[in-house]
Amino acid sequence: MLFGTFKKLYEEGGSLVKKLLVVLLAVLVVLSFAKVQIQFWHAMGGNRIELIQSMADEFMKLHPDIEVKVQYTGSYRDTLNKLIAAVKAGNPPHIVQIYEIGTQVMIDGGIAIPMQDLIDKDKTFDIGKFMPQVLNYYKVNGKLYSMPFNSSNPILYYNKTLFKKAGLDPNHPPRTFEELLEYAKKLTVKDANGNIVQAGITWPLHAWFFEQFMAVQNAPLVDNNNGRTGRATKAVFNHEAALRFFKLWYELTKSGAMINTNKEDWDAADQYFVSQKVAMLITSTSDVAYLSKMAKEKGFELGTAFLPRPKEAKSGGVIIGGASLWLIGGHPDKETQAAWEFIKFMASPEMQIKWHTNTGYFPVRKDAVEMLLERGYYAENPHHLTALLQLLLSNQTYNTRGAIIGPFPQIRDIIETAIQRMLNDEMTPEEALKWAEKEATKAIKEYNEIYQ
Amino acid sequence: MGDGQSPFILTKWGDRRMSRKILPYILLIPTFIVIITFIYWPAAYSFKLSMYRVSPFGNRMIFVGLKNFKKLFEDTQYLTAMKTTLIYVSVSVIIVIFLSFTISLLLNMKVPGTPIYKALIFIPYAISPAIAGTLWAFLFNPVVGFVHYNLSHYFGINVDWFTEKPYALILVILTSVWKVMPFDIIFYLAGLQNIPEDVLEAATLDGASSWTKTWKIVFPLLSPITFYLIIMNIISFMFSSFAIIDVVTRGGPGDYTTTLIYRLYLDAFAFQKTGIAAAESVILFIIMAVVTFIYFYFGERRVHYQ
Repeated sequence: MLFGTFKKLYEEGGSLVKKLLVVLLAVLVVLSFAKVQIQFWHAMGGNRIELIQSMADEFMKLHPDIEVKVQYTGSYRDTLNKLIAAVKAGNPPHIVQIYEIGTQVMIDGGIAIPMQDLIDKDKTFDIGKFMPQVLNYYKVNGKLYSMPFNSSNPILYYNKTLFKKAGLDPNHPPRTFEELLEYAKKLTVKDANGNIVQAGITWPLHAWFFEQFMAVQNAPLVDNNNGRTGRATKAVFNHEAALRFFKLWYELTKSGAMINTNKEDWDAADQYFVSQKVAMLITSTSDVAYLSKMAKEKGFELGTAFLPRPKEAKSGGVIIGGASLWLIGGHPDKETQAAWEFIKFMASPEMQIKWHTNTGYFPVRKDAVEMLLERGYYAENPHHLTALLQLLLSNQTYNTRGAIIGPFPQIRDIIETAIQRMLNDEMTPEEALKWAEKEATKAIKEYNEIYQ
Repeated sequence: MGDGQSPFILTKWGDRRMSRKILPYILLIPTFIVIITFIYWPAAYSFKLSMYRVSPFGNRMIFVGLKNFKKLFEDTQYLTAMKTTLIYVSVSVIIVIFLSFTISLLLNMKVPGTPIYKALIFIPYAISPAIAGTLWAFLFNPVVGFVHYNLSHYFGINVDWFTEKPYALILVILTSVWKVMPFDIIFYLAGLQNIPEDVLEAATLDGASSWTKTWKIVFPLLSPITFYLIIMNIISFMFSSFAIIDVVTRGGPGDYTTTLIYRLYLDAFAFQKTGIAAAESVILFIIMAVVTFIYFYFGERRVHYQ
């Protein structure tokens, strides 16, 4: 019909109209070949910026009609703030990487297209290939909201060389809290003036570790099954399991066996371990590639193990950390479809393998793990397997699925403040835990007021 | 012609009376557009927001009147931040004023190499607060910090300057003072060079000691500068200290180095509590207004103008 109209106008019009129509036709043809542009914001800094760019480049080679504009938008916190500003200004990106604790805020914001909607429409996509433990984090009320991308959990890294020096068996890392305390004290070395030259252990001062050590003991953070069966209304973490962890942290610090970092300082903890100022490090598996490389450079033997857990605690598991990719609504269909293609690409086995081997975040799909196993990858890189096995061997309960809380960032800050106050002897472990739970409940109630 | 009724003032050259009246206002319009867009309108919007509970993405707003303010004044962490700010600002201002004054006295003496010292001392003013914080964080780093190493090996001060009280606040104060000092020194140097020689000579003839001359003559003569510097420094420490605190201690340990501005940053950008953060900015505005008023009303009398 359009062609008929065109033809009629062309035949009946004068020479100027003919010229205009030809130009219009040419422009339309050119535009239809124009690339679809999508914007992708991520928070993976350092040498990961290049890695992500190279993955985007590979995608653009396969899809010459799609252009992906990749932008490193700072930390997770900065990325979320930038997204909020962009949404309010009316020009949000297509895909954003948001940290796991931002899940409730993203759902409440109502600006994202749940992944489930696109999965249901796309017959070529098999969600069954993905690891259930990872999907369970980002599924709320049975709906998958975001695509898992970089998933991690914490493991124990230890310096086998220093173990041998201290007379400890390098093939027997500590498995209980009691063993951890004992080993850390044995690995602490002081000089003639009583100054500590080498401490037993460190980990970043981050509430993530508190959350993980609760999950390891199958203990909850908030009510309504950790916010999974209903919106959380109060914090419930003032229990025996949490007190065991607070007391461990306190004792390790007071005995001089532990160095503490600034709030949320991941790099400092890595540096203490790499410079052999501590013999053990608990941190995310996302640094396993980096730490393996540094251990070789510095000339010590690296060991990895599951997180230690208290003897008397119930068995639990670990929670997914990291972030996921969210699809933002409000864009033309063509662009949303292109963004979906990109998300599927980043979640493909080849890309997950590339991402996993270069960082340490584990692959979120089962076929990727299978392929790596077949290639003998894990035989050569056993430390890349530790976190994955720890996750697969975890009990799947509401407590190991991870809590869904609106004001999660604030609650993390409250827990970190409580811990720092406890370590500075302003409060006892019991008081600190009680204060943290009370403040966390206040924050939750405040957040929920908007959604009554 | 000259009847003052034409709207096209700029094109009627003969219409001088009208154009002289309206022209200044027209020339001010660009400035006003900028000020209104970037200062007045956002400030008014902040005042409005402070009376609402706002969801992180702004899709829900509930009017709560003055409840946000009430909540802040009942919050122990906010009151602690007020106390911390008071201690931090007053200690920093006192140290920086006296340190700057002393150093500018030294720089005013005609010793060789003064231009080099002036250049070196001016460096902290040229760098951003974030860089200043990073530099000092490096110096005091427990593993690789030069200052930390020397302090622990030669003076036995083996503490963690980031996670122990009161060292964290001391480190933040030191960094802030170092950053602000050049600003004060420049002003004091200029002021010192304007002090008439005969006043000092007369004092010497009367048998005044150096101490008396400095504190009873020079310092009072420089009081207009001191007056100006104190309020400028207060503003500096209240607001641009944010970068130093975020880089060096992140408000820790606990909330030991969390000042009002850092608390505002956390509530606005870490916890997405837009309404509460707006209320905090209104409170900061009121505090600065009150401080400035009291300062000018009571302080100006003590300034000795020539």
